[in-house]
Amino acid sequence: MSKILLVMERDLQSLIRHKSILVMRWFFVIVQIGIFGLAVSRLIVVMPNYYNYYAMGVIVMTMYSVAIFTGYEIYDEADDGFVEYLLSLPITRRELVLGRSLAGGLRSFIFMSPIIAVFLLIIGVLDPLKVLTALAALYGFAFGVSGLSITLAVGLKSGDRFDIIMGALDAFIVRLSTALYPQAFMPGPIATLSMFNPLSYATDLFRWSLNFDIRFLANPAVALIVLVIFLMTFNFAGVMIYERNLEGGSWR
Amino acid sequence: MGLTKKYGSTLAVDHLNLEVQEGEILGLLGPNGAGKSSALMMLSTIIKPTEGTAEVGGFDVRKNPYEARELIGIAFQEAKLLWMNTPWEILNWHAKVCGVKNPRQAAEAILKELNLWDARKKLALELSGGMKKRVEIAKVLVQRPKVAIVDEPTAQIDISGKYQIWEKIRSLRDEGSTIILATNELSEADRLADRVAIMYHGRLRVCDTPRNLKDSIPGGDVIDIRFETPVEDRTVSELKGIAGIVDLALVKPTHMRIYLNRAEKMLPKIMQLLSTLHVGINSINMKEPSLDDVFFHYTGTILDETQATPGVPSP
Repeated sequence: MSKILLVMERDLQSLIRHKSILVMRWFFVIVQIGIFGLAVSRLIVVMPNYYNYYAMGVIVMTMYSVAIFTGYEIYDEADDGFVEYLLSLPITRRELVLGRSLAGGLRSFIFMSPIIAVFLLIIGVLDPLKVLTALAALYGFAFGVSGLSITLAVGLKSGDRFDIIMGALDAFIVRLSTALYPQAFMPGPIATLSMFNPLSYATDLFRWSLNFDIRFLANPAVALIVLVIFLMTFNFAGVMIYERNLEGGSWR
Repeated sequence: MGLTKKYGSTLAVDHLNLEVQEGEILGLLGPNGAGKSSALMMLSTIIKPTEGTAEVGGFDVRKNPYEARELIGIAFQEAKLLWMNTPWEILNWHAKVCGVKNPRQAAEAILKELNLWDARKKLALELSGGMKKRVEIAKVLVQRPKVAIVDEPTAQIDISGKYQIWEKIRSLRDEGSTIILATNELSEADRLADRVAIMYHGRLRVCDTPRNLKDSIPGGDVIDIRFETPVEDRTVSELKGIAGIVDLALVKPTHMRIYLNRAEKMLPKIMQLLSTLHVGINSINMKEPSLDDVFFHYTGTILDETQATPGVPSP
């Protein structure tokens, strides 16, 4: 356990180093929620309180994009030869992957926490249990995304392929989810696909925790189960692929 | 034990059989591409052998890689640092991961000893090549592992820094660590190593103490002659005919190495013959066998002079 915490410590340090990226992303989220969200919510008249729906979706989307950053770091480290150093340390591969996944989730959580805090104050949800449930949903999702990112980074073994896959995933995972619009308003095939998207369940669970109208959300119990399966699957896959692909030196 | 590594069709390490004794400094000598780094990477469980295996402190690197890693510390040929971290963060974290007691104190002591204290808060990307290399070495020194692997520890380091690092490596050995030192610098191997293993084209050519290796050279002395023009076959055969010359080899077309007994007595005869043959000479050097001669004797080639340490005399 202590080794996992040390791996997390190292990855969390790198968050502090990327101050300019953090500030840029904060601006993006603030502008997106504060300007675009306000404007577009005036257009949406068929759904009550669309502004809150949209803002919650943007928060989860941003957590996704920060958590996915772990995979890019793995590529940078492979280019610098740093992966060899990590593999030489008395840390099991499982500790390494879990530490990095947990840290990846925590980093996106820390990054978004000021915005989440302000948002909760604005919408007036201060019930500790609800807040904790909402935060747990967010962290669970970010942890899973980090595991997904590690799995793809190590599994694909090519920076170019990883960039393409992540770019495509980024485009589709948001559009084919309930992050920005409820399933009830989606065309049939897209609505079906959104049911297989963990982002849909993470955002809906987050919204449910914060008292959003249940008619527009997925069943919270189902959402919770999907999220748990998602984070366990990709972290387990990350460990397996990391051991198989990196232990043998095939990153070279 | 039959340690072998192939990268595609390239055989990097070819059935290496080598035993490192506890508490010694073993110098692994060879040019770039000899297979030294690949052998060390297998030993430190970073890459898996294609064939064969190795044991570290009784732990098989294939079956018990984690246990083997707990005994090993490695300083890589190229510094492996996260460029957005400072030397202080790098060493402190490394010490904690390796289970060093009082990691902060240990990191502080090593940073001061290696003259890195003033640079402790700089980002790794702002450090000079020599400083990065010193941080890399510092990782092993702060860890004080049972088995320390140092791959070309003084590459990119200035002369005074080299002496300092050599002293630290000796101290590490004296404190009980077993050290495997990969180098392509003859003087480094000669100064530090209790035994020297010569690797060439992935294979181990010989392993013994520097003294025994030098004594294994035929004849007790060496005469190095550099000619103005490429040596002709006739000159070679005439020289071979002189009684007392044990062996003779062309290092380069204009560079001959003669192994013989009592060089001071033989030199006039050699000079006389060369004069008779009207052979132009640039320089003559009479010496006892060095590791350079040992390397040449066992591999048929010399270590690239551009890889040698400028300004560091052989011991």
